[in-house]
Amino acid sequence: MQVIQVDVAIIGAGGGGLRAAIAVAEADPALKIALVSKVYPMRSHTVAAEGGAAAVTQAHDSLEAHFHDTVAGGDWLCEQDVVESFVAQAHESLVQMEHWGCPWSRKEDGHVNVRAFGGMKIERTWFAADKTGFHMLHTLFQTSIKYPSIQRFDEYFCMDLVVDEGAVQGALVINIATGEFTLIQAKSVIIATGGAGRVFRENTNGGIVTGDGMALAYRHGVPLRDMEFVQYHPTCMPGTGLLFTEACRGEGGFLLNKDGYRYLQDYGLGPASPEPRNKAMELGPRDRLSQAFWHEKQKGKTVSSRHGEVVHLDLRHLGEKKLRERLPQIYELAVEYLGVDPAKEPIPVLPAVHYTMGGIIADGNTASTLPGLYSVGECSSVGIHGANRLGSNSLTELIVFGKIAGEQAAQFAKQGSKPALPTPNMLAQAQAAKASAEALRTSHSGTERIATLRKEMAQSMEDGCGIYRSADTMQATCDKLAELRQRYKNIKLDDHSHGWNTEWLLAIELGYLLDVAEAMAHSALNRKESRGSHQRLDGFEARDDVNFLQHSLAYYQGDGPPRIAYGPVKITSSQPGTRAYGAAGEKADAEQHAKESANG
Amino acid sequence: MAEAPRMIEIQVLRYRPEQESEPVWQSYQVPFTEDMSVLQGLQYIKDEIDGSVSFRWSCRMAICGSCGMMINRKPSLSCQTFLRDLFPGPVKVEALDHLPIERDLMVSVEPFVKKLESIKPYLIPKEERTLAQGEYLQSPAQLAAFEQYSSCINCMLCYAACPQFGLNPDFTGPGVLALLHRYNADSRDGGKAERMEILNAEEGVWSCTAVGYCSEVCPKGVDPANAVNQNKINSAVDYFARFFPKKGGLI
Amino acid sequence: MKSQIDVKTVRRPYVRPMAGWWKGNAFFVRYMVREATAVAVWIYALVLTVGVLRLGQGEAAWNGWLDAMKSPLSLSLHLVLLVSMVVHTYSWFEIMPKTMAPMVINGERLSAERIQRTGWSVAAVAFVVTLLLAVWSQA
Repeated sequence: MQVIQVDVAIIGAGGGGLRAAIAVAEADPALKIALVSKVYPMRSHTVAAEGGAAAVTQAHDSLEAHFHDTVAGGDWLCEQDVVESFVAQAHESLVQMEHWGCPWSRKEDGHVNVRAFGGMKIERTWFAADKTGFHMLHTLFQTSIKYPSIQRFDEYFCMDLVVDEGAVQGALVINIATGEFTLIQAKSVIIATGGAGRVFRENTNGGIVTGDGMALAYRHGVPLRDMEFVQYHPTCMPGTGLLFTEACRGEGGFLLNKDGYRYLQDYGLGPASPEPRNKAMELGPRDRLSQAFWHEKQKGKTVSSRHGEVVHLDLRHLGEKKLRERLPQIYELAVEYLGVDPAKEPIPVLPAVHYTMGGIIADGNTASTLPGLYSVGECSSVGIHGANRLGSNSLTELIVFGKIAGEQAAQFAKQGSKPALPTPNMLAQAQAAKASAEALRTSHSGTERIATLRKEMAQSMEDGCGIYRSADTMQATCDKLAELRQRYKNIKLDDHSHGWNTEWLLAIELGYLLDVAEAMAHSALNRKESRGSHQRLDGFEARDDVNFLQHSLAYYQGDGPPRIAYGPVKITSSQPGTRAYGAAGEKADAEQHAKESANG
Repeated sequence: MAEAPRMIEIQVLRYRPEQESEPVWQSYQVPFTEDMSVLQGLQYIKDEIDGSVSFRWSCRMAICGSCGMMINRKPSLSCQTFLRDLFPGPVKVEALDHLPIERDLMVSVEPFVKKLESIKPYLIPKEERTLAQGEYLQSPAQLAAFEQYSSCINCMLCYAACPQFGLNPDFTGPGVLALLHRYNADSRDGGKAERMEILNAEEGVWSCTAVGYCSEVCPKGVDPANAVNQNKINSAVDYFARFFPKKGGLI
Repeated sequence: MKSQIDVKTVRRPYVRPMAGWWKGNAFFVRYMVREATAVAVWIYALVLTVGVLRLGQGEAAWNGWLDAMKSPLSLSLHLVLLVSMVVHTYSWFEIMPKTMAPMVINGERLSAERIQRTGWSVAAVAFVVTLLLAVWSQA
């Protein structure tokens, strides 16, 4: 088998992976970087992000406000010291993007513009039209071309990590074009492989978002943290699940039920005003909005459509000119995919799975529990999102923690001694992993089609780990996943070729999805409280800060279900309080402000 | 009320290098509903009928640029082309024109990426600025001058559309030249002189004969034909400028 | 199972021929017609050049050329050339917006349609004016 030696291997070339690669190259141009991606970098799912990236910008904003919004938005499950560090670095990280050419939308005076976003008290979301992720990804990819020390492995599929002497030693990758295996021996490894939304039936995610890196770290003993927290984005396209950005609501869009009523005011987010108000109504946090939808559905107040129950996202009052200027991609999506002109009719929307708050455990320096292994982005749980992510924090996360991961991985690679050539143990692991992948590819005796297992998994996750959860349905999902993991051993492939065998890769990805889904379902079943995006209907409707102000940690147990343990949450300045939005939020803010003024 | 699905025939140009020496057509019957895209049709084939059909896709919303292919002889994104518009069919699907077929509907992307890497597709700032000084100032009008060209999703439909590229694979091509123009037109960028050599070359703007089909098929309104052809003037001016003294002369 | 993959059998990119690339695609057919009208321009330029030469060779030569121009064959040719010139002029202005950098006038982007219509209008006016001059010069 071919062996390549590098200093830093980065798995995943989306926003986080590219930012990390640039950081390594800038830290020390002599370090050799392998940037591995199963797709060409510009296809990474960062490209689909629309709304924007948050950073304290306006004079009347403050790091404390961004910190508080994030921690409260996360229902106090955030690592507060990491959030402090994140909000402090946010502005500079986005200025760096601008210096690299990112076409941020501007105010008349030439400064970068900011817009309102869900759960944010003050406007601080930088945006590039309604294609912020697209512009950020292309800026990062094109900028990365400047650095000769970044060697890209485009369309190389990572199928295992190699671990020896208690530390990560590299990765085993498949050249998709030929089916050849290569062991990339590295002194440090950064995982930036994205989330795992494809375990659910309806989701905003691209086909590639299959939890690859999460599953690999998990299988090598690194716990997956807070996996039960899955974000439902409230405004997605029925049928496909495609995203209608939160910016629609930031620009003033309304959510209406079948009576044309702005129903969010009935859920602690009111009162309704014609103009958008931060942290109120349609600019409340995503978990609350998705939960409101669920309640409206129970009451029979939603609109029936071919693709199930929906509500209406009304943008008509913005007018065609403003829509085409500020939300051009949304306009196109509605017209082309739904045949709806948003200037004339409301858009049917429903909540769909969008983001995985949990992931590979990472400290404030992105380091995991496995020495030499770092993670950044949606695959990682660095602690800033807690139980519910605020929109526009994750794009900033990629830049802030991408830089940190790169610098840390570079530093790790330079210190410590690693074998110049792979040890027999490393080669044996690589050979074993290759053998199992080849066995899958060449087997003619399977009976289960990939699509069958995938659809059963996705339906089961939707049933058991939806917006509202109960012990009986979560248990049913856990049982189903155990069954699917067994049936997976009997996978049947039509395609046995070496090269361009996308069916083989889909089968490997299904394995990743099933493992990650199991971590999610068991974490959910064991969290006997409701917090953020994990809401229960079975006697555990309240938040329980006594027993569950803790992170869930899922540990891989091979064939059996994961072991769920718990770890402490770092609290610095924000004690768990009530998440107040709408009028209640304004009242709470005013009281807090008065208290602070009184204290001088 | 559930819709009873109608059937449509999708013909796919297959090519499995380990099995056949030449591409061969294969036909599939696919049940479809009103809002299904060609991509969803292909996914049905792969899921239920023939798992060996290989194609690239990801975002499903015409922003990742993965799913470009010829649909009824027109370069299209399969996620954005709907079976209802092609009914009763048959729908003929093949890999993007003018690029070598690697497998089924997957073409070689390397040539495009190499060209992209060759044009210095990154900001070469006109003036230095530290991070502490904050962002470069850029008015909305200055942003509008290049924003359209920055919308390229690298889907390569324009390469499938361009006969000059088909006849001469060394032509830098519409998409990459549009990206080159995106940087030249950015008010913050000062790298125009460094990129002139690429524009001026025979394989640069001068291989273009203004067919214009690239702009016709571009799913994002980038208008690469415009990016390339307006640079013919720049290239000509650059050529003649060498006959005039640069500084301190009569001009 | 071979342990070493023979890459040459696994990866064999297939290059499709370009022959007949423009047939069957309406857009390309229009393009080829546009390009072909340049030949008509060239032919007419030759005709006029011969006319100028004959003018320089004296009245007899000039009248001989004029008579040749009036022959049925020549008139048919000129009809074909006229139609080609009209198509040439139309397609010239049709493609003109692509050759210009985007212009913003009074805060609005100058549209391709306006550029095209301006060009066609100027051409139409020039045609009518030339025709009138030709008729007037005969009177």
